[in-house]
Amino acid sequence: MPKSRRFFSAQNRREWLLPALFIAPALAVLLSLSIYPLFYSITISLQQETSSGVVWTLGNFTRLFSDNFFLIAMVHTFVYAVAALSCEFLLGLGLALLLNSRMRGRGLLRASLLVPMMLPSVVVGVIWRLMLNPDFGAINGTLRQLGISTEGLTWTASPKLAMLSVIAVDVWQWTPFVFLVLLAGLQAIPEEPYEAALIDGSSRWQTFWHVTLPLLKPSILIVLLLRTMDLLRVFDQIFILTEGGPGFTTETISLYIYRTAFRFFDFGYAAAMSFVLLALTNVISVIYIKFLQAKDAI
Amino acid sequence: MRTTVSLTLILVLAALSACTRNTQPQQKQLTLAVPSGGEGEALKQAARDYEAQTNVHIDIAQLPYQNLFEKELIDLKSRTGAYDLIMLDDPWFPRFASEQLLTDLTPLLQQRGQTNPESDFVATSIALCRHPYQTGSLYAFPYVGNSQLFFYRKDLFEKHSLKAPATWDDVLAAAKTIQEKESAGVNGGQLYGYVMRAEQGNAAVADFMPIFWAFGGEMFDASGKPTVNSPEGIAALQFMIELGKYSPPGYVSFNASDVGAHLLQGTAAMSINWPVWISSFSDPAKSKVIGKIEFTTLPSGQKQGQAEIGNWLIAIPRDSRNAADAMDFLLWATTAQQMKQSAQQGNPPTRKSLFNDAELMAKNPAYPAQLRSLESSRPRPRTPYWNEIENAFGIFLSKANSGELSPADAMNQANAEIEKILQRAK
Repeated sequence: MPKSRRFFSAQNRREWLLPALFIAPALAVLLSLSIYPLFYSITISLQQETSSGVVWTLGNFTRLFSDNFFLIAMVHTFVYAVAALSCEFLLGLGLALLLNSRMRGRGLLRASLLVPMMLPSVVVGVIWRLMLNPDFGAINGTLRQLGISTEGLTWTASPKLAMLSVIAVDVWQWTPFVFLVLLAGLQAIPEEPYEAALIDGSSRWQTFWHVTLPLLKPSILIVLLLRTMDLLRVFDQIFILTEGGPGFTTETISLYIYRTAFRFFDFGYAAAMSFVLLALTNVISVIYIKFLQAKDAI
Repeated sequence: MRTTVSLTLILVLAALSACTRNTQPQQKQLTLAVPSGGEGEALKQAARDYEAQTNVHIDIAQLPYQNLFEKELIDLKSRTGAYDLIMLDDPWFPRFASEQLLTDLTPLLQQRGQTNPESDFVATSIALCRHPYQTGSLYAFPYVGNSQLFFYRKDLFEKHSLKAPATWDDVLAAAKTIQEKESAGVNGGQLYGYVMRAEQGNAAVADFMPIFWAFGGEMFDASGKPTVNSPEGIAALQFMIELGKYSPPGYVSFNASDVGAHLLQGTAAMSINWPVWISSFSDPAKSKVIGKIEFTTLPSGQKQGQAEIGNWLIAIPRDSRNAADAMDFLLWATTAQQMKQSAQQGNPPTRKSLFNDAELMAKNPAYPAQLRSLESSRPRPRTPYWNEIENAFGIFLSKANSGELSPADAMNQANAEIEKILQRAK
């Protein structure tokens, strides 16, 4: 070892060589798999193929505003994200508060609540597609057993129920995640603030509003950020459940991007749409962070 | 020190192995892209047989339907020459041919003294392989001769003394009679008069086109302008929705497999579907309707009924470095003798002689109907933008079937969308 140390100190100029050698593979991977494709997709989003060859243009971005399919898919994406996130957050918070108390069998309950989250989205999609089948699915079968008429309850095939169905499946799968993070947050809150609130004679509601929620803010921020990003780019369950149908009822922006890129082979336009989605996701994330973190920044 | 030695050793070995590979006797090599499923399996088997007979080594890339299109188009457009032969579904062909991604087979055929190799092929099949359609140069050979068929339950038709469905009006009347009189299906459940599929995209369009054509609808006029919202087109969509009333609930999200399942379970009496399903009806493990299904050509309207054609073609990419060897294999694999092997595995052939082959006909009683359907079939409109048009058209067909839009609104909006796609392409 001393020998090699002398080797390096003697040739100071070469000291960077070994570290550089170690970093090189990671750098090469990053450059070739992330940075190059990023710049490449920026370039193709600014190019269009015409009969006279490839031209530089903002055409892909201006086309967004006149593309009904894009605009409707955008609306669907936001409806889907807002509805699913609200349900998941309220249910997850409720469950976390419930299971944070010392009730019997909560270990088992907690574990079983996590099962949906462990399943791949594709599997969830297939399971629910079968369960929601109007003829032989478990949902309509159960309803019929209970004597409820299932006529018109065609779930994923009905323009009125399809969006509700795909949102319900997302809520089913991802509420456990919200629950898990919020529960961890709740358990990290120390006893003292609660004791102080008790002495001050605050009601349970006041305690929840003024003690629990503010102290839970970091966990809430994490959950909202991660879920929003996931919801805005949702693809797999919807692809399996409805493929965007019936008609266009459940087509989200990711599905439309996929179709544009891999079925119509218009990569430039697909890249342009992806950048718009990326920008919107970033804006929303920044708003969350400002809103939830600014006042309590530690 | 030790590391240096082992590193050197590895390098030397690598260099040596590279050398030995180069000095091996030159073996011919071909790479083939085929779809998963029966059609691809058949060509894969042919490739294995060819390898055993010749000095050609064949690598095979087998991919699911959608991925195959992506992979082929990306590889051909980036001109890697990765594939020497590709199988392609005929609606993809205009896109590949118009972007000049395929090898013109005419000179290769001339070199081999083959002036009229296509005489035995069904005319509608070989027409698909020419660019422009029917008249241009030959860029592919048809390998699997699918075209839609009309399936119906002959036992129910006999029971209710209905005549074989020759027109769409017959179909609607029969659907009504059967659904009203058959209170219970085979399982004791509901029996539906018809089963349709109207999932947006390919499914809805495939089930609609034969009705659309029979009603006298045309997707484009002579100047290439879209005309799906013609009175004939709107009437055809109205009819589709009427027929949908006798289809199982939720048919708006059905695909081919849902249609097949309803027929196999005996819960629906009629449908349009592809020949690939025929063999399942006589399989006791899958079918509750053995011997009860009859196959015929598509019903007529104002116009003669026409099926949608859906052939698998084999072509040679323009950047293949082994085009001559690929051509030899292509000609060999599409000979009557080889195609018969594929037909024996359940793939409809594209050669007339095979449709009339006694051995095959004995095994496939639907062959006469299949040949009639194929000979009178129509291709989907030959445009490189078919994927986009089919997607947009399918969305509006699906919307009309789900009741979200009236037939006229759906067709008007579809027409406007199709026009937009063509505008953009200019």
